[in-house]
Amino acid sequence: MAQKINIGSLLKKRIVILDGASGTELQKRGMPAGECPEKWCMDNPEALLAIHREYQSAGADILYSATFGANRIKLSQYGITNVREINTKLVKIARKAVGTHAIIAGDIGPTGRFVEPFGDLAFEDAVDIFKEQIEGLLKGGADILVIETMIDIQEARAALIAARELSNCFVMVTMTYEHNGRTLNGTDPVSALITLQSLGAHAVGCNCSTGPAEMKRLIEAMKPYSKVPLAAKPNAGMPELKGTETVFNMTAIEFADFGREFAEIGVGLMGGCCGTTPEHIRELSRALSGKKSALPGIKAISALSSARRTVFLENGNPLKIVGEQINPTGKKDLQEELRLGKTTLIDIMAKNQQKSGADLLDVNVGAPGVDQKLMMREAVKRLSVAADAPLVLDSSDPEAIEAGLRIYPGRALINSISGEKKKIEELLPLAARYGAMFILLPLTEEGVPEKAEERCSIIRLVYRKAFGKGFRKPDIVVDGLVMAVSADPASCSETLKTVEWAHLTFGCASIIGLSNISFGMPERIWLNAAFLAMAVYRGLTLAIANPELKEIMNIKAAGDLLSERDKDGSSYLAHFAEGTARHNDVKEKLHLTPEERIFSTIVEGSRDEIETALTAALDAKLDPSYLIKGCMIEAITEVGRRYEKREYFLPQLIAAAETMRKGVFYLEPLIKKAKQNLPPKTTIIIATVAGDIHDIGKNIVSLMLKNQGFEILDLGKDVAAERIIEEIKRTKAPIAGLSALMTTTMIEMEKVISLARSEDVACDFMLGGAAVTRTYALSIGGFYAKDGVEAVQLANRLISKKRDAFSDQ
Amino acid sequence: MEPIHTFDPVTCDTPWDRIYRRLGYRKGITNLSSFEKRVIDDAIDSALMRIHLKGTARRLSISSRSSSEITLTSGTILQSEALSRYVNECGEIVLMGATAGSEIIAAIGEETTRNNLSRAVVFDAAASEIVDSALDWIGNFFGGLIRRENKLILRKHFSAGYGDFALKNQHVVFDLLRLDRLGIFINEKAILVPEKTVTAIAGIKELKNKEDLTYSH
Repeated sequence: MAQKINIGSLLKKRIVILDGASGTELQKRGMPAGECPEKWCMDNPEALLAIHREYQSAGADILYSATFGANRIKLSQYGITNVREINTKLVKIARKAVGTHAIIAGDIGPTGRFVEPFGDLAFEDAVDIFKEQIEGLLKGGADILVIETMIDIQEARAALIAARELSNCFVMVTMTYEHNGRTLNGTDPVSALITLQSLGAHAVGCNCSTGPAEMKRLIEAMKPYSKVPLAAKPNAGMPELKGTETVFNMTAIEFADFGREFAEIGVGLMGGCCGTTPEHIRELSRALSGKKSALPGIKAISALSSARRTVFLENGNPLKIVGEQINPTGKKDLQEELRLGKTTLIDIMAKNQQKSGADLLDVNVGAPGVDQKLMMREAVKRLSVAADAPLVLDSSDPEAIEAGLRIYPGRALINSISGEKKKIEELLPLAARYGAMFILLPLTEEGVPEKAEERCSIIRLVYRKAFGKGFRKPDIVVDGLVMAVSADPASCSETLKTVEWAHLTFGCASIIGLSNISFGMPERIWLNAAFLAMAVYRGLTLAIANPELKEIMNIKAAGDLLSERDKDGSSYLAHFAEGTARHNDVKEKLHLTPEERIFSTIVEGSRDEIETALTAALDAKLDPSYLIKGCMIEAITEVGRRYEKREYFLPQLIAAAETMRKGVFYLEPLIKKAKQNLPPKTTIIIATVAGDIHDIGKNIVSLMLKNQGFEILDLGKDVAAERIIEEIKRTKAPIAGLSALMTTTMIEMEKVISLARSEDVACDFMLGGAAVTRTYALSIGGFYAKDGVEAVQLANRLISKKRDAFSDQ
Repeated sequence: MEPIHTFDPVTCDTPWDRIYRRLGYRKGITNLSSFEKRVIDDAIDSALMRIHLKGTARRLSISSRSSSEITLTSGTILQSEALSRYVNECGEIVLMGATAGSEIIAAIGEETTRNNLSRAVVFDAAASEIVDSALDWIGNFFGGLIRRENKLILRKHFSAGYGDFALKNQHVVFDLLRLDRLGIFINEKAILVPEKTVTAIAGIKELKNKEDLTYSH
């Protein structure tokens, strides 16, 4: 028997050719729709043998076994339970077809379920399901394993972990991306690459979903960061719907032309997915004949990933802030939550920190009475969904660290591994198994070295041990070890020396726990801010800090600019853009007359400025009644005009209305105090009808009417017809506004109007809401208003009609 | 029969453009300063922090169809000429449900009470569009699953309340999807609570098995 082909050697020589679509080929050979493909292949091995042989003779180096859906979940839908046996047999058929002339890849597809934290399939169950399949594939003699068409990074991780825990064989993982360049679950190709290659995938790439033109962009995005070969298995173009048929139109020649472009951008393995045939693979093989695969240019990368984002820690990048808030030290409410096994506060803290600019989130769940292993897992699950920022797992308990690393759908940073023998022995293997980066804390059992030189010696020592486990300098972040300046004024300088040494001499990223510097001192924020600026200048990469403190984020923005990490100043300008714009705006308004200023404040919806503008007008001896009638009504009318012309949209209309309302509230007491006559207000009753719980539209109408001088009695939502009529009678309101969103509740409007008529209540009804139409409103004796602006116009019309009728009498 | 799929969370992208359009923004017509945009974007971000998007779906076969109703293999009959026309070429349907959760509804109420209606309407629009996007996302999920079966999911969805498919059918959908397990309930007017909970039906049709028809893995 000829010797088996070794994929490693093959990749060094040339681009490796993968096979093409199998589903279509099976259908061509008679597989009926709705059939379980794996079972049909077992029952019709000749068809499968022929397909494998065709692809091999077309030039494919790697043939995928027909086991895409041969996992417990998929097979159970057809009532099949012998998972291992099916996988073994289907690999054996592939081997029988081509012997050792091609590499047989045990093919692993998705289960069709999302894995926690993104779905209801427990992570360890997913690992077990894939292990069951992989055991069958390996028993059948699969040379390598291919995990493909994954849309959930966590499911890809589960399959990869299963593969790595069962075998040392070559494992390739390819994900499927949507047209927006992300998987359905939101993972971008670079984050997938960082996560999967660090977890031990030997090749990473994409398959299915898009044609080669779109997939090329995905491979190009990954290439600069790949330390493993990249694989592409695109469809034969984009599917086109022709009548009732979906067709892939790309010819084999066109497909092969793309192959040359993929070769240029550095793909290592290429084949075809949906729509491709042996002919496509034959042409591809010809096109790529003799083309060398571009070997990965990097051995390690300083990058952390979540399921949706990657953060690079290379030198020269802006300082990264690690949000420090998820730590129960000194936070009684968080301690209590963790003891109860809850993660609500963690969710809120993560979102707030991220919103304030945190690039990474530190996660520490250590508190008395808390099961750290359990809570680290729960916190990581929650944060994987709640936040995009990659996580820093902060614990002294190796079991808690492992629980977090195993469930985390990204590449995490461990905080931390020190020079203590026990820590090295326990944590380095964990970091290696899950491909995590780690913070290297330069202390030993003997304590914290005072001098930077001693700290650097410890760093070198730990690194040597880490190197043996496969780590390189980009995988490590050196902790500068911040000590309180109150205890030792010289400690600040030793930390800065360590940071600078890591940056300039050793060549790796560095981090400091910022607030330690000011421990025990008053006005801590200034010490923290000053120390941060000094450390940034020395080359600091990461600071563990509170991103919700403005001073810290301002210093970061300024420090990045001054240390040439924000070369064009765009981040600095963006950071301070809002303040600058508001400042200029206020300066411009100072040149306006008091009336113009009130007008523009309402038109711009600047709620916070209306009182200042009105005060200025009052100081200029302008009459409060005049300000309402002469300026504010004019302004809100202008807003209505802009809204009708679509120059304004709903938030602007409402912001202006709210500004006006606030202004009226401010002026009304002054008018009353001056005993000026306020015009009598007309009352309008407003309500969402019985059974309906929707009220946002009603609230908008209410606000708009109030601004036009109407007295609004808002009865709320789900209001019974009897109550509405009772209130109309009591207040003698000439108009009632009724709202309903649903077809099932809109009929309540008719009930209200009928009841009013039967009780001789002379009130006009304005009707509105998503389900209501003008025709319907008129048919039940009401009037229709499509929105707040139209409601104001209608109300004014109805009132003047009533006045005219009254004067005619 | 396939089980009920639960998606907790649904991880679809935020449909920023759709949220703006829902609020009435028209590109090239509406004038929006960078400050106003920032305020609105900030409100959308705040809404996102309060939206807990969950979904559920179930694939069901159609056992018979007449011009006025369809019967599912579960024995459920859905009466609607429009729905029957919609599933004309379909042998199956996917029932889908999605909710933005109750926290966002409470937040809309709080903002309204605090006279921050401009934020409340943005919250409302964000939640509405995000639950709709969740249905699209669930549809795409099934699209990926059935591709290998040479089947296609219809992009347009059909919901109770459309045309002659009475809103009361929401009760049937509610039961088939076991929406109570997502913390949702339905009132006697067939309104799903919390607000910003939606359901839809998407047809699945089998593609013709021709030589050139290659929509299959």
